[in-house]
Amino acid sequence: MALQGVEQTILRDPALFYWILFPITIVMILTGILRHYATVLMNTPPKPPSTMAESCERLSLLRGVNLRNNAPAVLSKEAFEMRKNYLVSAYQSGAFLKDPASRGQPPANPMTDPAGMEAMMGMMKGNMMMMIPQTLIMSWINAFFSGFVILKLPFPLTIRFKSMLQSGVMTRDLDVRWVSSLSWYFLNLFGLQSVFGFILGSENAANHMSQQMANMNPAAGVNPFQPGQDPDKLYQNEAENLEVMEHFCILDGIEDRILHNIASKEGLI
Amino acid sequence: MALITHEPHAGHSSNLIATFRLSQQAPVLLKQQLSKERNVLLSLVNKSEEPENHGMTEQLFFACLQSGDDKSAVLCLELLTRRFGSSNERVTALRGLYEEALAENQFELEQCLHKYDALLSDNALNLPISRRRIALLRAMSRPADAIASLVELLKAIPTDAEAWCELADLYHSQGMNLQAIFSLEEALLITPNAWNIHARLGEVLYICACPLDTEDSIQLLRRSIQYFCRSVELCDDYLRGYYGLAMATFLICSRNPSTGSSNELLSVSTEDMLYNNRVEKLNKLAKTKLEDIVERRSVDLQLWEYSQGELIAAKELLDRMTGLH
Repeated sequence: MALQGVEQTILRDPALFYWILFPITIVMILTGILRHYATVLMNTPPKPPSTMAESCERLSLLRGVNLRNNAPAVLSKEAFEMRKNYLVSAYQSGAFLKDPASRGQPPANPMTDPAGMEAMMGMMKGNMMMMIPQTLIMSWINAFFSGFVILKLPFPLTIRFKSMLQSGVMTRDLDVRWVSSLSWYFLNLFGLQSVFGFILGSENAANHMSQQMANMNPAAGVNPFQPGQDPDKLYQNEAENLEVMEHFCILDGIEDRILHNIASKEGLI
Repeated sequence: MALITHEPHAGHSSNLIATFRLSQQAPVLLKQQLSKERNVLLSLVNKSEEPENHGMTEQLFFACLQSGDDKSAVLCLELLTRRFGSSNERVTALRGLYEEALAENQFELEQCLHKYDALLSDNALNLPISRRRIALLRAMSRPADAIASLVELLKAIPTDAEAWCELADLYHSQGMNLQAIFSLEEALLITPNAWNIHARLGEVLYICACPLDTEDSIQLLRRSIQYFCRSVELCDDYLRGYYGLAMATFLICSRNPSTGSSNELLSVSTEDMLYNNRVEKLNKLAKTKLEDIVERRSVDLQLWEYSQGELIAAKELLDRMTGLH
């Protein structure tokens, strides 16, 4: 056991500092920047629809969503009912589909569908961009720098941080304040995001966390459908959503609201 | 023109003074841009090109065309072509606009139209070009064709608020007000907080209701008042909204006594009474607000210049209303 209250001292060669700590940090920053530019370069913009029918199929769903979200702010009851009936019947009959004939058939396999293949490739590229540099650097550090204690934190920490700060150094008695080289790599990996934000601007692609989030939520963009998804199913869903919607309108009683809010505020009446 | 301009502040026909001012600066601005491109060292330093710059060049292009400065317009076009390539959809649309502006007779316009048709047959979804084509059809006073193609376009791209507005305008110009109302409502579904579209919808409803004197027209007027109220609620001090509110409420107020005398007084329910009371209050509010706005903006020289026409119209309306009372 380490003695309580007694400062552990380890004699370190200052060269450790210059030849391990700095190289790891610099390499991490440089790979981050490189990854950003590589992602920008490899990034293919989503393919625009090629025919009228395809565009119609994509955007008509948004029309239903818009109606659902914005109808209370705009439409009177009759206008809303009219639009609702139109959209629901069109969704249910599949009038917006690219080719209505293939309705109800199982969706094409995303592996054989060229559009789906492209999207998958895009995702693969993004993941590769993350994985390859990480594997390389990790193995580089493991090969050259494993087992070094390179840094002493200027503040005390509890024992729980041991596994975080001293991976690769298997000494039970070492004070938690000592940081091993492998841990320094991990700290850099997760902690450099603000540095990248400073260098590359806040919307950089080096920030792999945000990229993972974006992968999970691809709703943004022109195409509301993911590859391999059946538009007809989404339409049926949307039709159901519209059917159960109850109409109210914020335009009802707006006169009173205006009189109350504006006139009383300005003391006009 | 209105179809292709995305930023309303310059290049908009309602504000000619600003347009002229911008176009007068064109040679200086263009020289700056060109020298920046030639200077290799400088271009290395500002490596990050600003997207706003290109937007500005586009605005400048519109302003130059509007004010007849074709030479600067060509320079702008060249700048954009050099950056984006001549096959870029937006650049081709700009080039088409330039050719339209230079066309001197109907025949040359027809040629432009044929060119657009050829481009569209390659790629039916070339949005800037199809928009230009519709605008051109409209300019050649073929509104029926324009409406037909616009409806086609909207079938494929139903989430384009600008196109819906243009369609509403076209319908309105043809006297098909109900269709115009429908289109404006569609546009509002896409951009529910656009106070100018709310006000525009109120205006169309008002125009629709004006010549009639039936129960329907009262309903239309009520709806119109609602939309004007909404536009005012979304944007304080929106002159156009208050102007419309004053007009619509004034019309209802002026109609009330006549209906009261022709029918029996008893037939007016308490609800209507309450409503009329509210409308009168709204009318008063709109007038006070208008006076306030006119007074405030007339003092400020810049604001005055910017919205001269609107302010004069508002003043005139106020005078008319006080004269009638």
